[in-house]
Amino acid sequence: MKPIEITLTVNETTHTLITLPNRTLLDILREDLGLTGAKNGCESGECGACTVLMNGAAVNACLVLAGQADGCTVETIEGLSKSGQLHPIQQAFVDAGAVQCGFCIPGMVMASKALLDHNPQPQEEDIRQALAGNICRCTGYTKIIQAVQMAAEELRHD
Amino acid sequence: MQTFNYLRPAHLDELCQALQQPHAKIVAGGTDVLPQMHTGRLQPALLVDISRVSELEGIRIHNTQVEIGALTTFAAIQAHPTLRAAAPALTQAAQWVGAPMTRQRATLGGNLANASPAADAVPPLMIYNAEVTLTSAKGSRSLPLAQFLLGPGQTALQRGEFIQSVRFELPAEDLGSAFLKIGPRRGMTIAIVSAAAAVRLSPEGRLEQVRVAVGASAPTVIRCPQTENLLHGQLPSAELWQSAAQQIAVEISPIDDVRASRAYRRRAAGVLAVRALQAALSQAQEAAQARTV
Repeated sequence: MKPIEITLTVNETTHTLITLPNRTLLDILREDLGLTGAKNGCESGECGACTVLMNGAAVNACLVLAGQADGCTVETIEGLSKSGQLHPIQQAFVDAGAVQCGFCIPGMVMASKALLDHNPQPQEEDIRQALAGNICRCTGYTKIIQAVQMAAEELRHD
Repeated sequence: MQTFNYLRPAHLDELCQALQQPHAKIVAGGTDVLPQMHTGRLQPALLVDISRVSELEGIRIHNTQVEIGALTTFAAIQAHPTLRAAAPALTQAAQWVGAPMTRQRATLGGNLANASPAADAVPPLMIYNAEVTLTSAKGSRSLPLAQFLLGPGQTALQRGEFIQSVRFELPAEDLGSAFLKIGPRRGMTIAIVSAAAAVRLSPEGRLEQVRVAVGASAPTVIRCPQTENLLHGQLPSAELWQSAAQQIAVEISPIDDVRASRAYRRRAAGVLAVRALQAALSQAQEAAQARTV
């Protein structure tokens, strides 16, 4: 297996890495770049804990090969807060009490960001659809949906 | 993940060349291949990553011919306005594939190559009489979908071949069509039963061009020609729908598996296909009303 060279921009910083083709975007984020916000849950696209934005769209980082992330722009949960201030979506999750054990939350927040970037005024049904691939084992869905509604409101007033 | 040799062709000719090598496995969006590689169920010696072959991407419509490249994602299909207006069963099926993250990556070609009896894209493509274009270094050939899908996980793809695109005739405005699926959860659901149907109404209100396809109820998705014949030329009625549901139960050959029993599938397939027919019919009625106004 020959190493490959890839270049990707993560949270506005560009990295060029020599890596192996059997590694995933999630491996690179967590192990090479130390960005452990995206979680390794099911490795099959069922749970959504590894959700990040790739070229603006929410994807399961565990199902993206290193070679497929080459040339891409990636945004992770670590890129959301600016100068010590939580992003409005993060703040809304805190304010709504949407975070229990927290394992699913980075994925929930990034999937919510993908929704709100494209649809600033989502109906409850839109939110449920957008989060259909994110599982919360604490089953805190009601508060999570409220958090997204609060974040949408806050972002509209920004 | 196990080790493998990795090729990432940028153009069709490079792809044809890469596939000359033995034991080449194609990966595109990775939503079916990578879960199987993570568990070790799939251990390819050579992985050919086609995600950069831009010739395979996109939806092209010339006159009434639709061509969807194999690399087109379900997110792109779901968002396409012409397909939504004229081929809504395909749009509806795309909306049901996995979850939003899946649809950003999962491709139409992958859904066909995977050859699941429960593949969401297949029932709509069958009622639109779609053909699959397969390409290799030797050239291209086209096959009706029913001849491409041979059984669970089995296709007519030969060594060195890949799916280039799917083509079908854009349905006329008065052909109503719909797709429905039953599963335990809204996101990430593998169909227990799925159904697509198309129908148009004659000026006398009789059913014409009736097409029914049922998924997850036989070794491949199948059309139900006897049900289509039974309905053709008839006036819609409660009795007619009941006999259609019974006929569908006879035409399919479902199995017991982890998702549902054979008996449940027989019952559910009839009910679901009739609901799809009724949804297609109400769309055809709207089109007929729009014509008379």
